[in-house]
Amino acid sequence: MASTFKTFLNDDIATTRTLLHEAIPITGSIIYGTYGAPGAELQIKTFAHGMFQSVYDYPFLSSSANHIFDVTHAHNSVFQTQGVTGTKSDGATYDGASQLGAISTHPFFKKRKNIYGQMGQVLVGHDVVGEIQKFDQDGDLLSAIGSKYNCLIFMNFARLLGKDEIKKGSFELKIGTEQTHSATAGVMNDNLLTIKDDGAATNYKVNSPAGEYGILKITGDSNVSGGGISTQPEYDAKCGLIFYQAGVVALTPDLFMGFVASVYNKGKITNASGGGTDGVDAKMNATQNILALLNDNAKTMDDVALAFRQRIEKVCFNNTTELNSTIYFCRASHNDFNYSSNPTYLLNSKIRVKGKRDHDPISYITSVGLYSSDNELLAVAKLSEPLRKDPTNDMTLRVRLDY
Amino acid sequence: MAFLDNSGDIILDAVLTDTGRMRLAKGDGTFKIVKFSLADDEIDYSLFNRSHPSGSAYYDLEIMQTPVLEAFTNNTSTMKHKLISIPRTNLVYLPTIKLSETFANHKRVAQASPAPTGVFVVAVDETTLGEITGEGNICPNTGVLDGEAASEGNYIRVDQGIDSLGNPSPAMSLESDLIETQYIVQIDDRFGKIVSQADGAKEATVSFKDDDNIASYYLSLNTDTEFVFNNSNKLVTDAQAISGPRGTYLQFRVQSSLDLNTSTFLFQELGGSATMEIGSPVKKYYYIDSNVRVTGATTGRSIDIPVRFTKFYT
Repeated sequence: MASTFKTFLNDDIATTRTLLHEAIPITGSIIYGTYGAPGAELQIKTFAHGMFQSVYDYPFLSSSANHIFDVTHAHNSVFQTQGVTGTKSDGATYDGASQLGAISTHPFFKKRKNIYGQMGQVLVGHDVVGEIQKFDQDGDLLSAIGSKYNCLIFMNFARLLGKDEIKKGSFELKIGTEQTHSATAGVMNDNLLTIKDDGAATNYKVNSPAGEYGILKITGDSNVSGGGISTQPEYDAKCGLIFYQAGVVALTPDLFMGFVASVYNKGKITNASGGGTDGVDAKMNATQNILALLNDNAKTMDDVALAFRQRIEKVCFNNTTELNSTIYFCRASHNDFNYSSNPTYLLNSKIRVKGKRDHDPISYITSVGLYSSDNELLAVAKLSEPLRKDPTNDMTLRVRLDY
Repeated sequence: MAFLDNSGDIILDAVLTDTGRMRLAKGDGTFKIVKFSLADDEIDYSLFNRSHPSGSAYYDLEIMQTPVLEAFTNNTSTMKHKLISIPRTNLVYLPTIKLSETFANHKRVAQASPAPTGVFVVAVDETTLGEITGEGNICPNTGVLDGEAASEGNYIRVDQGIDSLGNPSPAMSLESDLIETQYIVQIDDRFGKIVSQADGAKEATVSFKDDDNIASYYLSLNTDTEFVFNNSNKLVTDAQAISGPRGTYLQFRVQSSLDLNTSTFLFQELGGSATMEIGSPVKKYYYIDSNVRVTGATTGRSIDIPVRFTKFYT
C-alpha cells in the first residue's frame, strides 16, 4: 500500500529542557547622555507620578526603541530616623536622626515608602504576622538581628533583556562614586566600584517569594582614585541584592558614602573636601549627591534616578531562556519515501529518475511536515539543501520544536 | 521567504504553522503531532540527467544544488508534493491524477477572449445562470456550473491511473497498492462547498476547516459512493482521461456559498468585475478566481482545478 505519512512511535518523540544564555552588555552612554542633556534625555521616559524612570536604548518615542530597565528608589519608615550612623571622615560620628529627621516631610516620602512596600511584598514577602519584611544584607530575612536595607535604589530590568532569569554569577555593575558633578564625560565615573554577584552560581538564597537571589558585593576589580581597594574596608562589602527571576537589582545608597563607618575617604560620593563636614550634608546643595537628594525637599525621585544613572559606567549580565523542546525523530527507513508525488517526477506517468525497471527509485527531501491525526499540518521544517533518499540509505531527521 | 544558507552543515529550519499556533492557543488538546511526512516542493526532477557525460555521480548534480526556501508558516503553502512510501523498488510507472475533459459536461470553458478560458465558471445564483444560458437553469455552456441548485448539468471529474500514452494498455489492471481509494478535496469555504454530481446535490461532509477558511473534504471509495467510483473501463477506444491502466475517479459539483449567492461583498473585496463572453453576448460579471485542490490521500498526487465564481453585474 502506498502511503505519504509515517506515524511516530513512542520512542520517536523526546522532550528536553535547555537553558539558553545571551550576554547583555549595557554601556553607560546609553543610560546617560548621548540622546540629550541631563534631565531631558530622549531615551529616558519619565512619568507624571515621578515614581520611576524608564531607560530605553534609543529615544523612546521611536518604534525602534527597546525598554532596558527602570530606576527607582525607596525607603521604609525606619530610614526616617535611622539616618546614617558611624564615623565621619573627620572622626566625628553621624548622629542619625538629626541628619535625616526631616525626611518625613519630603514630598516624595509616601511614594518612596510605597515603592519599598511594593518591592518588599514581591521580593522578600511578609513575616508571620503579615508585616512586610525588610530587605536583608545577607538574606537572613527571619532574623531581627543583622543589617537591614532600609533604603534601596532599584534597577528593574525589562523582561526583554532578562528573559526568564539573570544567570547567576554573571552580573556586573561598574559605578562611579565620585562626588563631583560634571557634565564632562568620565568625571563622575571616577572612584569606580565594581559590583558583582561572585560565587552566586553555587551560593544563592531561595527564601524569597520571587525566586532565587544573590548577594551583591564590591569586588577587588574596583578602582578608587587610581588604586585598588583590596586592602580597604569597602573590599568585599555587601552592597545589595539581585533577584534573578524577577530581574531586579537592589543597591544600597551607602555605596556613595563609604562603608562600614570607614575613615577611608575615597570611593564616596561625598567627602569632607566637598565643603561640608560629613558624608551627608557636605553636598546638600549639589544636585548630584544621592544621599543628600533623598533628604532635599526640593529634589524629586527623578533627580535621584538621574544622579544614579549618571554614575553608571557599565552593566552587564547573561540572561537565561528556558527552552522546553520536543524532539521528533523522523525516521525514514530504506524502503520509505523513495518515490515522489512531485508533478515533475513523472513524464507520461513514467518515473524520470529510473531508466530501467531495476534502477533504484530516487527522491530528494527538502521539507519535513509534522501532522495531527486529522492530517492538519502543525509544524514544518526545511532542510538547507536537498537530501537524496533511495533504497540504499535510511535516515533520521531530528526536528526540534521549542516552547 | 529567503533561501536557507547551504554553504556549511545541513541545517533544519523548523516553525509552527499558523494552524499549529491556533491549535496550541486553543488548548483543547488538538495540538498533537502524531505523524510526519516528507516533501520535495522545490525539486525539478526534469533536471535529472541520466546521460551526463561525467557519469552517474553527476546525474543529480543540478538537483542537489537547488537552493531551498525557508519554512512557510502558512499551512496551505507548503508540503505540496509529498514523498511516497512504496515498499517495491521495481516500479517504472506511477499513477497520476488528471482532470477529465473527455465530454462537454465536464470540460472547462474554452471560448476565446474575453472569456475566462481554462476555468470552470460557477454561476453563483439563478440570475447569473439565466444570463449565461439564456433560458432555463440547465447549463448547456461548456464549463459553466450551476452554483445555486448544483443538482444537474455540468460537473467536475478527476481520474486516476497511469497516463502512459497507451503503454501499458488500459486493458491491464492497475496494481492494487497504486489505486487511489481516498481523495482530499480542498476549497475556500467562503466561496463554495462540494456536492455530489448525482443524487440531487448531496453535500459532502467537511472534515475540518483551517484558519485560512480552507475546508477539507475526505471522500473515500466505498464510503462516499456518490463521489468516488471505480473506473472499470478497460477499453482503449473509449474516450478516457487516463490512457493506461485506470484506478478510480472522483466526480463532484461546486455549490456557491450563501455569501456569494446573496451579496457582492466578497466579489468586491477579493475579486473584481469584468466583461466576459461566458454565454452570448458579452456581459459584465463580478468574479472571484480560486482553486479547488484535489489530492490523493494514498498516493499524494494532487491537482489544482481553476474555478471562477461569477455573479451577474446588475
